Amino acid sequence: MSGDNRVRFSQHTLANGLRVNIAPDRVAPVVAINLWYDVGSKHEQPGKTGFAHLFEHFMFQGSRHVAKAEHLSIVQGAGGVLNATTYFDRTNYFETLPSHQVELGLWLEADRMATLLDAMSQENLDNQRDVVKNEKRQSYDNRPYGSFFEKLMAASYPEGHPYHHITIGSMEDLDAASLEDVEAFFRTYYVPNNAVLTVAGDVDEAPVIEAVERYFDPIEPNDSLSAFRLPHDEPLVAQREIVPDDVPLERVHVGYRSPAFGTLEFDALEVATQILAGGRGSRLHKRLVREEQVAQDVAFFALPLVAGSSVAAGWVTVRPESDAAAVEDILDQELARMTREPVTDDELARAHALIESAELSALSHMDEVADRLSMYTTYFDRPELINEQLGRYLAVDAEAVRDVCAAVLDGERVTLTYAPRNEKEAVV
Amino acid sequence: MSDPLAVLDRRPQPGEPRDYDFPGFERTTLDNGLILIRCHVPGRPLLQAQLIVRGDAGGGATSEDAEVAGATALTARAMSEGTTERDAVAFVEAAERLGSEMRASAGWDSLSVNLEVPRSRLDAAMSLFAEMALRPSFPAREVERLRDERLNDLQQVMADPRRRAEKAFPAVIYADGAPYARPLGGVEKTVAPLDRDVLADRHAALLRPEGATLLVCGDIEGLPLDDIVGSAFGHWSISAVDPPLIPQAADQAAEGRRVVVVDRPGAPQSEIRVGHVGAPRRIDDFHSLSVMNALLGGLFNSRLNMLLREKRGYTYGVNSGFDLRRAAGPFAVRCAVESPATAPAVADIVAELARVGGDPVTDAELDAARDYLIGVFPLRFETSAQVAGALAGLVVQELPDDELDRYRPAIAAVTADDVRAAAQAHIDVEAASIVVVGDAAVCEEELRTAGYGEVEVVHDEGFGATEE
Repeated sequence: MSGDNRVRFSQHTLANGLRVNIAPDRVAPVVAINLWYDVGSKHEQPGKTGFAHLFEHFMFQGSRHVAKAEHLSIVQGAGGVLNATTYFDRTNYFETLPSHQVELGLWLEADRMATLLDAMSQENLDNQRDVVKNEKRQSYDNRPYGSFFEKLMAASYPEGHPYHHITIGSMEDLDAASLEDVEAFFRTYYVPNNAVLTVAGDVDEAPVIEAVERYFDPIEPNDSLSAFRLPHDEPLVAQREIVPDDVPLERVHVGYRSPAFGTLEFDALEVATQILAGGRGSRLHKRLVREEQVAQDVAFFALPLVAGSSVAAGWVTVRPESDAAAVEDILDQELARMTREPVTDDELARAHALIESAELSALSHMDEVADRLSMYTTYFDRPELINEQLGRYLAVDAEAVRDVCAAVLDGERVTLTYAPRNEKEAVV
Repeated sequence: MSDPLAVLDRRPQPGEPRDYDFPGFERTTLDNGLILIRCHVPGRPLLQAQLIVRGDAGGGATSEDAEVAGATALTARAMSEGTTERDAVAFVEAAERLGSEMRASAGWDSLSVNLEVPRSRLDAAMSLFAEMALRPSFPAREVERLRDERLNDLQQVMADPRRRAEKAFPAVIYADGAPYARPLGGVEKTVAPLDRDVLADRHAALLRPEGATLLVCGDIEGLPLDDIVGSAFGHWSISAVDPPLIPQAADQAAEGRRVVVVDRPGAPQSEIRVGHVGAPRRIDDFHSLSVMNALLGGLFNSRLNMLLREKRGYTYGVNSGFDLRRAAGPFAVRCAVESPATAPAVADIVAELARVGGDPVTDAELDAARDYLIGVFPLRFETSAQVAGALAGLVVQELPDDELDRYRPAIAAVTADDVRAAAQAHIDVEAASIVVVGDAAVCEEELRTAGYGEVEVVHDEGFGATEE
C-alpha cells in the first residue's frame, strides 16, 4: 500500500463557464457525479425565504425529457443513489452510479439545467410546497429542541442579514411563492457559469470530458450574473432567551460569531472544537458529563459559512437533578480557559490524530471526494484544497487555538435556554 | 435540427458494466477457539476490526433476563469506560492518541466490540482493543453514570414523537414478555437496578473465545496480522461460565391487531407505524422479500412514497422495512404526516398492504427494484467498516460464505410471481397493528369509524393537558 492518499484530478472550464473536475479512481466500479450551484438561502430576497430549498425539490419534478419524479426512478433503476441538499451558501445535487452509467447521470443533470422550465406546473409547485411543509413539521416543529437552529441564527445575525434565516424559511413566504418566482430563480442561478460539476470514480478522463462537453456546452450562460454581495455585517449583539418547549431536560444553547470557513482561523477553530467537545476525551465531556455529572450530553462545533463570518455554537443538555444556570457557569469556565491557557501538547496530538482518521474515513467515500472538489471550487476556485486541508489542520498549534478562541469566545454571545414547558412559570 | 439542445433528445445507453466481486476473505482459528476472518480491501488504510459474540453463543440482548432488560446494552456501553489496567479517562485518551475509535455495541443477536484505526497504528491499537474487550473493569462510578444517562434518555424518548413511536410499536405487535417487545436498552424499571456486578457477570457470560469471531478489514496487505492478533487475543482463555440460553419465543406475536393512539395534544404531525411481526433473516425467499419491499416502500418511487408523498403531499417521506434478525423482527411502514391527514394516510397504507400480495407486479416495477438492488450492491461496501458490517452479518446469522457472492444473481432471478408469493407469505394486512403518536382529538374518531378495531388511546404523563 502506498502512503500517499492524495486525490488526483484534472480541472476544465467550458466556454459557457461551467467548471468541471474529473477525479479518476479505480478502487470500485462506481462513479460519483456532483453538481454545486452557487445559490443558497443567503441569496433569498426578503419575503421569499425558503425558496432556494423549495426550488431544490422542484429539480426532481421533471424536465423536457424526464417526467415528474422520473429523475429518481432513472437513477435508482440504474442501480444508483442520489440526493440534494440546500445550505446557506449553496445547493448541491449528487448521484453515485455504477460506473458504466456515468453518461446517464451527466445527461440527467444537463437535461434539468437546460430544460427544467418545460416541466413547470402549478400542480407540481403545490405538491412540493406540501412536501416541504411536512419536512418542516418533521424536522423542526414536531421535534424536541427543534426550533433551536432557527432561533440561534435569527439571534446571531440581524434582520435582513443573509444568514438571519435558515434554509427551511418561513411557511408564509412559501405560500406566496409563484411560478414566476420559480422561473426567475432558475434563469438567474441555474446556469452553467454558476455551477461546478465533479465526476469522481471509475472513469477515464477523456470520455467523461467529451460527454460533459456534448451535453453541457449547448446550455446558455447567464451573462448578467452578479457576484454575491454581503449587504452589511454588524457584530453580534448579546441576547438571552428562555424557550419553553415540550422537553423533559433543560438545554443551554450558545452561539458566537466566528471567522469564516476557508480561513486559517476557521481551521484552528475546528481543532479547538475537537479539543472542547469532539468525543469522550474532550474537555466539556470530561468535566460536565463525566466528572461533575451535571450534563446528559454536550456539543460544540463551527458552522462552515463563507460570507464574511461563521457561527461557533454549542449546547449542554442538563441532567434533571442539576440546574441550567450552574451548568452554564461551568461551561463558561471551560470556554474561558480555552481563551487564556494554551491547550496541552497531548490534547493537540489527540485532536490531530482523530482529525486525521476522520479525513481518511471521509475520503474513502467517492461521493465525499466529489462533493469536496465541488465545494472547494465553488467557494474558493481551488479544488486542490482537498489535498491541503489535512495539512492545514495538522499545522494548527496551541497558540493558534488560543488566539481563535480568544477572538471568538471572548466576544458577545447568544444564549438560549430550553425549559420544560410545565415548569415555565417557575423558570420565567 | 438547429436546436442546440437536440443532443439531449436521446437518453444515453449504458456502457459495458465492470465486474464487481465482494472482497475475498479468509478464516483461521486460534488455539483457544477464536475465529479470525481477514478481508483485504485495497486502498482503504482506515481499518476496521470487530470482535463478535454471536447469538447462538449467548450474545445479544435476546438472551438476557426480562428483569434486567437493557443489561447487555449497558454492558457494551460500559466496556470502553475503564479496564483493569487503566481508568476510563486514561483508556479514552490512549485510544484517541492512536486516532482510533473503540466502542462496543449490543444488538438483539450479538454483542460486537469495534475498532477503527489507521493501519499504521493497528499493532498498538489491537492490544488496547483486547484490553477493552477482555478486561473491562466496570468502575461503579462510570456504570452508575451511564445507567443514569440511559434513564434520562428514556425521558427524552417520551418527548420525541419519532422515538416514542419506535418504543410503542414493538410493545404492540409482540406478546407481553417476548424479548422483542421491549426496547433493546431496557425500560425504567429494569435499568434502574443495574449495577457494576450485573454488568461484570453479563460480560463474563458473553465474552468467551469459543464461538467468538474477530474480523479485520481494510488495506491489510503486508501486515503481520497473525502476530498482532495472536499477542492480543492468543492468551484469552476458555470461559468457565456457562453461556446464557436463548429463549425459544423471542418473536412471539401479540394476539390480534391493535390500534393505539399515543396522545400528543396539539401535535403538528402524527408519527405512524403500521405493521406486524415480520420474518427472520434465514428464510428461503429472502431475495424475493427484498425485491418486494423495495417496490412497496424501499425505493423513492415505491408504491407507498409515490402515493403518500408525490401524489397526496401528506408527508416528507414514507418507507417500509423488515428488521431481519435470527428470529422474526418487526415489519413496519413508517411515516410522519400532517395531523389532519392521519386517518387518510393510514387508509392509504392499509390499502397498499392489501394490494401488494394481490395485484400484479408490473415489469417496470420489478425491473426498477431488481436493478436498484443489484446496482447499489458495490456502493454498500466502499469502506472497511461497511465490508466488516456485511461480514458480521454472515457471522451473526450463520449464513454461508458465498451468501454475498450469490446476492446479485439471486436478486436478478426474482420474478413477479416470487414477489407476490413473498408478499402473501410475509405481509398480512388483517394482522397489521396501527400505532399513531399524534393528536387523538384530530384522528381518533376517524380511525374508529374506519373499522380497524377498537382504538386505544394512551395518555403519557406530562402530555395530557391541552394548550391554552
